[in-house]
Amino acid sequence: MFRKIGYLLLSMFVVFKHLFKRPVTLEYPEKKITPPENFRGKPVVENCKGCGVCLRVCPSGAIKIDRENNCFKIDLKKCIFCGNCTFYCPHGAIKMSKGYELALSDRENLILNYPIGGADERN
Amino acid sequence: MSKLKLNLGPQHPSTHGVLRLILELEGEKIISCEPDIGYLHRGMEKMAEKLSYIQYLPLVDRIDYLAGFFYSELLCRTVEKALGVELSKRVKAIRVMLLELNRIASHLLWIGAFLMDLGAVSPFFYAFRERELILKYFEKITGQRMMNNYFVFGGVRRDIFSLEDVENIINILPDKVKDYEALITENPIFVRRTKGKGVLDKETAFNFGITGVNLRASGVNLDFRVKDYLYEGIDFNPVVIDGADSWSRYKARVLEIKESINIIKQALKVLESEKELEQKLVNPLNLTLPEGEYIQEIEAPRGLASIYIKSTGEKSPYRLKWRTGSYYSVNLLRKILKGAYLNDAIAISGSLDIILPEVDK
Repeated sequence: MFRKIGYLLLSMFVVFKHLFKRPVTLEYPEKKITPPENFRGKPVVENCKGCGVCLRVCPSGAIKIDRENNCFKIDLKKCIFCGNCTFYCPHGAIKMSKGYELALSDRENLILNYPIGGADERN
Repeated sequence: MSKLKLNLGPQHPSTHGVLRLILELEGEKIISCEPDIGYLHRGMEKMAEKLSYIQYLPLVDRIDYLAGFFYSELLCRTVEKALGVELSKRVKAIRVMLLELNRIASHLLWIGAFLMDLGAVSPFFYAFRERELILKYFEKITGQRMMNNYFVFGGVRRDIFSLEDVENIINILPDKVKDYEALITENPIFVRRTKGKGVLDKETAFNFGITGVNLRASGVNLDFRVKDYLYEGIDFNPVVIDGADSWSRYKARVLEIKESINIIKQALKVLESEKELEQKLVNPLNLTLPEGEYIQEIEAPRGLASIYIKSTGEKSPYRLKWRTGSYYSVNLLRKILKGAYLNDAIAISGSLDIILPEVDK
């Protein structure tokens, strides 16, 4: 009996201890988290040579290379942000930025277009 | 007394995903239970037959989103063993450390969710707060909180850094675990709802293929980490408890958190002595496994996880099969819920730590 009361008091103490601590949550739209350095957010492409390695490692088929218009397309609706393309790109052209707010009002805007600049040396 | 058929789930908040239990009741007593799974089926095994190994690797984290590292480790390990790639000491220590952190995160979530099932709200928030520290660290090194995709064939994506965060976590956690124990372990309501409920004796456990903490809480000393090649040179005692009820499964998980902290400490020591990251990454573009069958296993938080690959020497496996712990725990509900009361159904199924994405794959 006394043991049970003792445990209840102990657990009450634990709960009260937490009353005087700062909140661990963040009021999201007003305050925002800065993601860490390696965060895998919205992909950004610069100086793509169009070699096509990313096509072969992408699990979801989100990447398309349009040779006619010299255009590199990433479909954010399909992208699972795994970071395979970033890791295996031989030119370091694809980087994943810290952008994490990806909601848009038009789904066409979710397909990112980047120009392919410079010829691939291996072709 | 007339019988009543009751559907528990699939949208019940405490079924940890979408599990439907078709219960047959006589009064408040359950006389039969039929688990209905498949609501979360994503075709993980079939998908592997069309994708190359490197394309399949990021998807593997999603088999069990609470312990993704274990499954990517399994796939990486199979490829490494098949190609004869040796891992350096530092890579092994990194993997062990992350796996154990992941195990702690998974168990913490379980403690929160289990107590939530029983109607206690505060432990949920406390457990999630500590889990957040671990997920923040994962985010820092891997880039994402849960779908880490950090292990690659032959090593890891980048060298590990900010080990002081890990030290901070393992310094904080024992105190916090003490707090949970003060709140939960001998709480009269908790004890009444779990002690002697959902008893799983050794024989039933063996017959139903139960592994992991659930089996060790029934007094069987079977931990696949003991023979694991990653855990070579690491000293730890598998947590074995007699008791076999829901309460001892809870206790075993709490003790396992402490044991994991112990393992992480040893891994940190290795990381301090081995500063250079040496790894030979496998070129994934033309990766094929030699013809044959491969099987690997690891002790995941929810029991033995293993992978079976049959390769015909092509870019993608001919057949890939996952063995996950929760799948067997769900089957056990047929037996263990028989004769229990309806209000214990959630408490018992919660204590087995069932994660539905792992069941349905």
